[in-house]
Amino acid sequence: MTSLLTVNLGCRDYGAVLALQRDLCQARLHGEADSDVLLLVEHPDVITLGRGTKPSSLPHDSSALRRLGYQVHEIERGGDVTYHGPGQLVGYPVLDLRQHREDLHWYLRQLEAVLIDVLAVFDVPGERVAGSTGVWTQGRKIASIGIHVKQWVTFHGFALNVTTDLSRFESIVPCGIDGVVMTSIAHELGSDHARPTLWSEAVTAVVDAMGRTFDRDATLVPLETLPQFGFTRV
Amino acid sequence: MATKVVMEALSPTMEEGRLVEWKMAEGAKVSVGDVLAEVETDKAIMELVARVDGTLLKHLVPAGSTVPVADPVGIIGEPGEDISGGSEGGGSSEGSDISEGSGGGDVGEGSGGGEAVDVAVAAPLPGGRVKASPLARRMAEEQGIDLSSVTGSGPGGRIVKRDLAGVAHARPGAAPVTATGGFEDIPLSLMRKTIAKRLVESIGPVPTFYLTVEIDMERTWDAREALKLLGPDGKVSFNDIIIKATALALKQHPECNAWWQGDAIRQWYEVHLGMAVAIDGGLITPVIRHADQKSLREISAEARVLAEKARERKLMPEEYTGATFTVSNLGAFGIDHFTAIINPPEAGILAIGGITQRPVVVDGELVVRRRMPLTMSCDHRVIDGAMGAAFLQTLRAYLENPLAMVW
Repeated sequence: MTSLLTVNLGCRDYGAVLALQRDLCQARLHGEADSDVLLLVEHPDVITLGRGTKPSSLPHDSSALRRLGYQVHEIERGGDVTYHGPGQLVGYPVLDLRQHREDLHWYLRQLEAVLIDVLAVFDVPGERVAGSTGVWTQGRKIASIGIHVKQWVTFHGFALNVTTDLSRFESIVPCGIDGVVMTSIAHELGSDHARPTLWSEAVTAVVDAMGRTFDRDATLVPLETLPQFGFTRV
Repeated sequence: MATKVVMEALSPTMEEGRLVEWKMAEGAKVSVGDVLAEVETDKAIMELVARVDGTLLKHLVPAGSTVPVADPVGIIGEPGEDISGGSEGGGSSEGSDISEGSGGGDVGEGSGGGEAVDVAVAAPLPGGRVKASPLARRMAEEQGIDLSSVTGSGPGGRIVKRDLAGVAHARPGAAPVTATGGFEDIPLSLMRKTIAKRLVESIGPVPTFYLTVEIDMERTWDAREALKLLGPDGKVSFNDIIIKATALALKQHPECNAWWQGDAIRQWYEVHLGMAVAIDGGLITPVIRHADQKSLREISAEARVLAEKARERKLMPEEYTGATFTVSNLGAFGIDHFTAIINPPEAGILAIGGITQRPVVVDGELVVRRRMPLTMSCDHRVIDGAMGAAFLQTLRAYLENPLAMVW
């Protein structure tokens, strides 16, 4: 089985990781590397505006958001506005779909399957909502998805709320869906079941589920080793 | 030669995409692989790249538009090239050349792309030729329309697609293929188009498959005997009963009461049942209109008259055209079982074999029953196996329990 090189970046700035994704994507497009990569990261407070962002999704303008302490990025992924911040596990798979399936809807559904599998580890029932990409639990949104594909090479990805401070979503209308209630794994488990190891368990579950779902051998590697696999732009 | 840029299918389940943003302005030079625009489906953004070198002559849709898969969004060609006919071609479905897999959708020379560079002819052509767009020309040829009889509404009196709408069935000397009554044209989904294309490649213009059942005719036999007791008036043929049952079953399964229209599947609201009649030197299929709404007595009388007229070659065109489905019965010719050939654009035909007494097992006991084999030929572009099977189950239910027909 070919590998899914998985890099756990820890806490990193949004802009730096975006540049890293673009480099990985370019290396894949130019045939310099032939491994799929998964970046896992936690961002400081940041609001990203996808291509589908509606003006009504942003109660504050960008400068007001910056004054509130958020970074703001306008980016190329699909979907509306979203928030990333501490306690949220973000995954950026850089996969060549030509080696999986040239089908964007399939890819989105696979990412949802990964997240539902991860939630199952914590006995949180994950579900899809027809017409609304992402993963929900009992009507509350727990994970968001937004991707960009360049000649079938993917970047951007998913954001799973593990211990996210849910009040941070209040500055935006997440995903442009009015009245959506956001939740997190910690919130669903309740304070009685707080686990100090929740974050690392979630990381392990995501790595396992990604490997299983995309039929790849998910291997954790340090960022510095990526050039050995052909990602010399990193 | 101008080439259309079309909305590509980024997933087999994608029906339409939103053109989020043009990355290249009108007039920009583009090379193969350049990103022309960004397209969004669901929450995925994918880039629409140029498949040919040239100049992006026109954005056919503004950013933010939602466009069906395979519809044109722009035109690439040479600077200064006349693309005046482009909007007309763009609005029709004829340029929808979908190449699978890569989703490459460029339309080259000789196909619909010709429409994009069609130039209005300034003066009448020698030899009495008529000015018409290539699309109009092709439609006229397909439909047997004489272009010289059509008034053009395009530039310089040129005949365009819309001018043909009113004369579509004015083909002289040929029977018009029309059925009366209402219908619904169901646009082809990408999956339906792919099924159609692949099956035709495999088996021919009408990709046919066959479903066979053997129906127990004991109760229908008894019912027919009972009707005979009413005197000459009550004399009905098995075929009359089969037509009645088929019409009722089709009413319940409109997906089988349909025509393949090339760019759509036409599901008819009414059932007009063709019945194949052998005549000297060939066969013809007179049509029992609204067969689903007629009593067995009416069907029987009408079938008798139509068959008689057929043999005397006195059928009028409207009496043998416009069937939505056909039944062919060779039972009376001593045939046990056969398959029939679909009469396009209909999507199905039933081949009825003879009723014979056969040993069958009923409730664990070997008994002798009157059985009738029946095979349905299905145009796979319209009817899938499970759809045909469901229809046959209903038909079987009627024939094995004829009282249900008067319920």
